[in-house]
This record gives sequence, C-alpha cells and structure tokens, in this order.
Amino acid sequence: MKGLASRGGLYGLLVLAAVGALFPMVWLLIGSLQTSSELYRGKDLLPAKPQWSNYVTAWTDGDLGTYLPNSMIYTVSAVVGILVVSSLAGYALARIEFRGKAAVTFALLAVMIIPAPASFIAQYKLMVMLGLTNSRLGYVLILISAGIPISALIMRGFFANLPKDLEEAAAIDGSSALNTFARVILPLARPGLIAVAVIQGLAVWNEYLLALVLFDDDTLMPVQRGLMNFVSAETPVQNILLAATAISVLPVVVFYVFAQRQVVQGISSGAVK
Amino acid sequence: MAYAFLLPAVLLLAVFTLVPFVQAVVLSFQQWDGVSTASPFVGLSNYKFVLHDTVFWSSMRNVLIFGVAGFVLGNALSLGMAIAVNRVRRGKAFFRTAFYLPGVFSVVVIGMMFSWLLAPNAGIVNRLLGGVGLSGLQHNWLEDPGTALPAVAAVFLWYHWGFGFILYLAGLQDVPVELYEAADLDGAGGWAKFRYVTWPDLLPVTAIVSLLTLLGALQVFGTVQVLTNGGPGDHTMVPTLRIYQEAFTNQRFGSAAAMSVIFGGALVLLAMLHLWLSRRRK
Repeated sequence: MKGLASRGGLYGLLVLAAVGALFPMVWLLIGSLQTSSELYRGKDLLPAKPQWSNYVTAWTDGDLGTYLPNSMIYTVSAVVGILVVSSLAGYALARIEFRGKAAVTFALLAVMIIPAPASFIAQYKLMVMLGLTNSRLGYVLILISAGIPISALIMRGFFANLPKDLEEAAAIDGSSALNTFARVILPLARPGLIAVAVIQGLAVWNEYLLALVLFDDDTLMPVQRGLMNFVSAETPVQNILLAATAISVLPVVVFYVFAQRQVVQGISSGAVK
Repeated sequence: MAYAFLLPAVLLLAVFTLVPFVQAVVLSFQQWDGVSTASPFVGLSNYKFVLHDTVFWSSMRNVLIFGVAGFVLGNALSLGMAIAVNRVRRGKAFFRTAFYLPGVFSVVVIGMMFSWLLAPNAGIVNRLLGGVGLSGLQHNWLEDPGTALPAVAAVFLWYHWGFGFILYLAGLQDVPVELYEAADLDGAGGWAKFRYVTWPDLLPVTAIVSLLTLLGALQVFGTVQVLTNGGPGDHTMVPTLRIYQEAFTNQRFGSAAAMSVIFGGALVLLAMLHLWLSRRRK
C-alpha cells in the first residue's frame, strides 16, 4: 500500500516536471496561432480560429526563406568538416605510435578549456584581418575549429576500442594507410561518427555568438541571427514573432524526436572523456 | 604518417583558436576601434580603465547568481529527476525525451518563448497568478529591477538542467545492481542506499556535471542578451555581454580584450582548480 502511494507520488512528480518542460513550447505554439487582439487581450486559452496565415506572414516578413537555407548550409558543411578532420586526428591519437602524442592529446584538452568569452573578441579581429567577416567560408571554418577538440577525443575513444590487428591484416592485403582508414576503420567507428554528427549538428544550428559578431549582411545570416534581426526590426508583432520562432525551431524538434537516442548517447560520450 | 592525419586539426586549431587566444592578450594592451588596420600599443591603460568599470565588476557579481543557481539548484534538480526517472518502469524514454527537449532549443528560441510567458499583461505567468487570486505576486518580471535577475536565472536553469539529468541518468544505469542487493541484505533504507551506494558511485559523474554546468553558467550570454540585454539598468548584466558591448557598441576592443583576459583567465583557473580537486579526491 505504501509502495503504491509512493509510486503514485513519483509519477505525479515526473508528470509535473514533464509539463514544466513541454508547456513553454506548447504555449508558444498556441500564441503563434492567435490573432493580435486575442493575444493582447490575454483572456482566451485557445485561439477562436487558428490563424495559420501568421505562419505565412512570418515566413515572408521574417525572411526565413533566406535564413533557414543558410543555416542548413552552415550546419551540413561544418558537420562534414568536423567529422573529416576530427576522425583523422582521433585515429592518429588512438592507433598510431608517434613522438609527441601525449603532448598533442594534452593540447587538445587544454584548448577545450579556453572559454569563448576569452577569445571571441580576438577571433573577430582575426577574421577582420583575414577578410573573413560576412563570409560563409569564414563562419564555417571557425565553427569547424570550435568543434574539433571534443570530437577528436570522442573519435579517439571509439577507435581505441576496435580490435588491434585490423591495420596489419589490411597492410598484408596491400592497402595504404589512408585507404585502410577510410575503408576498414571508419565504417567500424560509425556509432562514434553518428554521436559526433548529432551533437555538433545541434551545436552549429543553435550557434549564436559568432553569428552575431561575424555577420551584418542579411543574406548570409543563419536563422538564429536572422531571427534576432527580425525581433529588433521596426515594431514586431508578437504573434508573427512567435510563428517565426516556431518555424525556426521545427527542424530541431523533428530531428530531436527522431534522433533522441543518438542525442543522449552523444551527450554522454562527449562528457565522459 | 601520424602527422599527416593530425595536420588539418592542428592547423585549424592553431589559426582559429590558439592564435586568437594569444591575440586576446596582445589586444588587451592595444587600442582598436574594430575597423582600422592600426592598433597601437597603449600599455596598461585598458586594464586601468577596466578596473574602474563598475558595470563590469557588478556583472561579475551577477554571474555568480547564475553560477550558484546552476551549481546548486541545477545539480540537485538534475540528480533528483535522474533518480526519479531511473526508478520508474514505464515511460522512462518519454520522460527522458521530454526533460531534455529544452536543451535542443537555441538561446533565441528561449528568449522569444520566455519574453512571451513572462510578459507583464498577456503573459501566462501573471495570468495564472491572477487566476488563482495571487495578483499581488504579479510582476513585470523582466523589467522590474527586483525580479529581473532571478527571473533570467530561473529561465537559464529551466534551459539547462536536462544536460546534467542525462549524464546522471547514464551514470545511475551503470551502478552495479549487486551493490543495491548487498545493501538490501544489510537492511539499508532508501537514504542509506543513496548515501553509501548511489552517491559514491556517481562521484565522477557529479564532478564532471558540476564543472560543466558551472562553467556554462558563468559564460551565459545569449539567454541574457535576448531576454533583457543586461537591463533594466545593468541589473542582469553578465561579463560576456559586457565584453560584447564594450567591443561592438562602445568600439573599445582593447578594453573589451582586457575584460576577456581577466574573466577568461578566471574561468581557466577555476576549471583547473576543479579538475585538480576532483582528481585528488580519487
């Protein structure tokens, strides 16, 4: 009897927390479907008639047709870059003996400790000097470099767990080192690649500080930066802003619902290192 | 051979991470307006300037609220909810997915969401308070100097507790079942099991979660910038936002760099101290 009550209490607590976690998103969606006057009157819980046209207005007025594709481009290119560069580095650290290995590993850890507030001003200056502000290439390069340390360490962990004699067997078959890496080792480290891709994909999509600093050309901005532009422009209408926000977050929520297992795995493998 | 594999990573990190880190120190002794190619040396004057910037120092004090909220409340919430979810049989996956959902939003989404929830008249928080007859507790949460900082810190907590929760949950699932069985045989109650089995076994996870949440909280930027932009007055100003404004609003990149060095240096020291402490405990 006591067990039953405490189980009930436990579920009560969990349901309460779940409502707390989900409600703000739900409330945003409800607001995004109301008329302006409903919104400001603030008396109704649900829109009398869902205003889907808010989404059309948000899409055109908010320039989401520019910002969303930009974000896609940045996310895909940065994630591919991070995967290539960090799996190469992680492989060398896990499976090749060379001088200075301990120093390189330590340097990766040290670089990870450098906090963004310590370097973003100087990063901006560097990008100005290199002519890489308002540049897709500049933004992607700096995103890749931000993702490397943790990703290389995660990949190192996955490579280190593979059987020892893979390279020797491949070498006997006359395969070159790079070929062995690409054809034999990499496919076996797929779970690691997925974990890195998922975590870095979310990080890049949501990146804000560097986008804020590096872009003032509207046509190049990723969606987080673009949305802020829309918010601070003229007199924004609340329901349209909410609709624009909902559109911007939709890809992430869909991705998360389908890939939540990988997201959870990625978070754990990233933090334990 | 190994060097060829490492080359791209080393090159990118050197150019885009290490050079700027060193550059930040150099820039803190220079004057730069953000555009021109000239940045003359000015000695210690940036540091002198920062020393007297009361807003910067009060931003350091404000961010401690975020740090403490994340470190104490966030940690407790994450651990408590992880234990709760780990104990139920049905719906584990649902609760896990729901609790981490806020963690996949961007700061801009968080900002839009909560300026709407906390809006003075139409905001649901004030409406609910009014609805249950507590209209005395209604506030203009984000613009009242008395409530702005706690409100933003609460939003930050809501946004981030899922991260520690995921790590604690993974850690709990790794605690050997035999330990609990042995504790059962010894007649240990719920609290004793937590104190002598769960807690010691989770210590490494606790160390890493508290370090990451603490550092994350101290570096808070976007959540604050989008919700209040440091206001009202400077009541919710945090160091990273102050550094950003000093550079991009006031066009004083030199003193912004000096703030970077002071604040960034403090963060690095804190991280090293924490790592050293948690390693020593082992």
